[in-house]
Amino acid sequence: MLDDVDLTCEAGEIHALVGENGAGKSTLAGIAAGELSADAGEIERDGRIGLVHQHFALIDRLCVWENVVLGNEPRRLATIDRHAARTFVRELGERYGLDVDPDAYVEDLPVGIRQRVELLRELARNPSILILDEPTAALSPGEVGRLFATIARLTENGVGVLVITHKLDEVFAHAGRVTVLRRGIVVERRPIAEITREQVARAMIGGEIPSIPAHQPTDGPVLVRVEALAVPGAIEHLSLRIAAGEILGVAGVEGNGQSALADALAGLTPFRGSVERPARVGVIPQDRLVEAVIPGWSLVENAMLGRERAAAKGSWRIDRAAARAQCAAIVERFDVRTASIDAPLATLSGGNQQKLVVGRALIDNPEFVIAYNPTRGIDIGATATVHGELLAARNRGAAILLISFELDELFALSDRIVVIARGTLRGEFSDRRFDRDAIGRLMVSA
Amino acid sequence: MTLSLLFSLLALALVRGTPILLASLGGVLSERAGIVNIALEGEMTAGAFAAALISFFTRDPWIGALGGVAVAAAVGFALGFAATRWRVDQIVAGMGINLICTGGAAFGLIFVFNQAGVTPQVPAINQALWPLVLLGILLAAALQWVLSRTPIGLRLRACGENPHAARAAGIDPLAMRLYASTIAGALAGLGGVFLALGELNLYSDGMIAGRGFIALAAVIFGRWTPLGAAGVALIFGLLEALQFALQGNIAWLPSDFLQALPYIAALIALLGASGRYRPPAAEGKPYP
Repeated sequence: MLDDVDLTCEAGEIHALVGENGAGKSTLAGIAAGELSADAGEIERDGRIGLVHQHFALIDRLCVWENVVLGNEPRRLATIDRHAARTFVRELGERYGLDVDPDAYVEDLPVGIRQRVELLRELARNPSILILDEPTAALSPGEVGRLFATIARLTENGVGVLVITHKLDEVFAHAGRVTVLRRGIVVERRPIAEITREQVARAMIGGEIPSIPAHQPTDGPVLVRVEALAVPGAIEHLSLRIAAGEILGVAGVEGNGQSALADALAGLTPFRGSVERPARVGVIPQDRLVEAVIPGWSLVENAMLGRERAAAKGSWRIDRAAARAQCAAIVERFDVRTASIDAPLATLSGGNQQKLVVGRALIDNPEFVIAYNPTRGIDIGATATVHGELLAARNRGAAILLISFELDELFALSDRIVVIARGTLRGEFSDRRFDRDAIGRLMVSA
Repeated sequence: MTLSLLFSLLALALVRGTPILLASLGGVLSERAGIVNIALEGEMTAGAFAAALISFFTRDPWIGALGGVAVAAAVGFALGFAATRWRVDQIVAGMGINLICTGGAAFGLIFVFNQAGVTPQVPAINQALWPLVLLGILLAAALQWVLSRTPIGLRLRACGENPHAARAAGIDPLAMRLYASTIAGALAGLGGVFLALGELNLYSDGMIAGRGFIALAAVIFGRWTPLGAAGVALIFGLLEALQFALQGNIAWLPSDFLQALPYIAALIALLGASGRYRPPAAEGKPYP
């Protein structure tokens, strides 16, 4: 996984560790924090190294303060001093700009707040180095800003912060040094002032960045027609249309009805109003591990999920050879890097798993594609592949609903963008004339 | 119904409910730590049989009672060990323990006493019946307090919800689960001792009669909290008491139906509870 890697992080610096999926970043972080063990080499720690995971390792059904003080509880006689615990959480939060209700249950909190809880939990243990693994993968633009403000406060207090990411914007905006990891080897390390984005990107993928096909104007027939859609508690009176060969982007802060919209259009949740859509729909779900795959199953089996009929080819029996051939086709076309199509999906990196999910949604040339955060948490190379395939599907004449929390992604792909806030559409931007500020304001409109 | 009849019914409910209550507390403890405990039935059997056996040979019912609890704790330890160190499927291990304990007791009766079905009469602790009832209720309150208010309780719950996060906080989930399973065995064993030496003065095959599984239903219906489980256990006790009270009084109702009452109630309760109550998130999942 890793070969002869050396890495230092100094007090008060922000050190960015970048690399493609499967490059070994998370493994390195686990080893540094002492959660995994290395075959050779040594780690010198001056104080504690805290690690904030990519998939937050919180206990959902405990409340915030319980998560933070677990293992190190303030006591009053034999009991936990709850008052002290709450005060501790509140004060720590104030110091670092991480305000959270100490009594809220983690399962009730949105992703951005959960991350604050995880940060609080690590900060409660007074780390000298804090490692953040893909900290912005699930955050809205505003939350990303807040996170980096918190990181700045940490470094002012002398904490060294190692940020694992593949978002070069963030690297160049905030980091002091950057280390590039490729296939388990350090291929580049420099102060940020001495390197360009292009150099970093090339070092990450070991070659040129794949380009995405150009946009062509569209005026196809309307394929998807949604009138007065309502989902109790999530969406009220939402109408939209998507034409053949059009990507409609949906901008919004997480938790404003996007999930209900995607589920209603995919037929996964009951709704009121009318939805007209083509028969062949491809869905890229929001949460890969929860909704899209069964990690313990092989690539072949996962590629068949939801497409068993295609694999059975009209017979009552699954044609193993055909299923394998279809999986191999997805692996080939979508550049899924795996040792074998019979390997459990869990052995793949997140980006490669996602490429399989995207491939499964697009391989049968659906007329309508629902893509929900199709590149969440995956690297530049995989993102380019996914973006290229979505545009290719569009150019073939598919109608595409693209829900994303990343404005850059929406701007790069969408023909039209609508903004969703509190379950209703707040504005529309067409002809690719997108105003970032206006969209940002609409996203948080009451 | 006269007042004295009502009191005697409630008294009987407490007595019938206590063994279920004790076992259900064990169930709550091990399940909150992450170990599915379908072995309660076997642990109660082990406790009851060992208590009668030891009491018979030592002629001291207190040593018998302690021995019964200790043997059941050892059974709980075995379940915990298999589930943590060997990562055996907890349902399979629990089922195996149930079979070994009931079979072992039946075999022991023949091997030791040379008679099938029942031990001879042994010295008992019938005078401790009511103190034990009280102890059960106090234990429920104490466990509730430990789980919700103390560091060890928080850590135990963490192990049942997300052992990986607990590990990251410096807690050893395997040790925690092993302890919890052992104490659960002791509590279920005390339930068995209550039946064999508290209410009666012997062990007979089938005397546990599914109470371990009823206790499991109480755990679920009590939403995995000690007081909740205890309350449900006592309701099951009340149903058993009702069955005694009604027997012979309602001619048109077959007595078999009355005897089945607590089990039918457990079934209906579980049907109502399933899906609405969520077990600890990591329950039944081997760690790491």
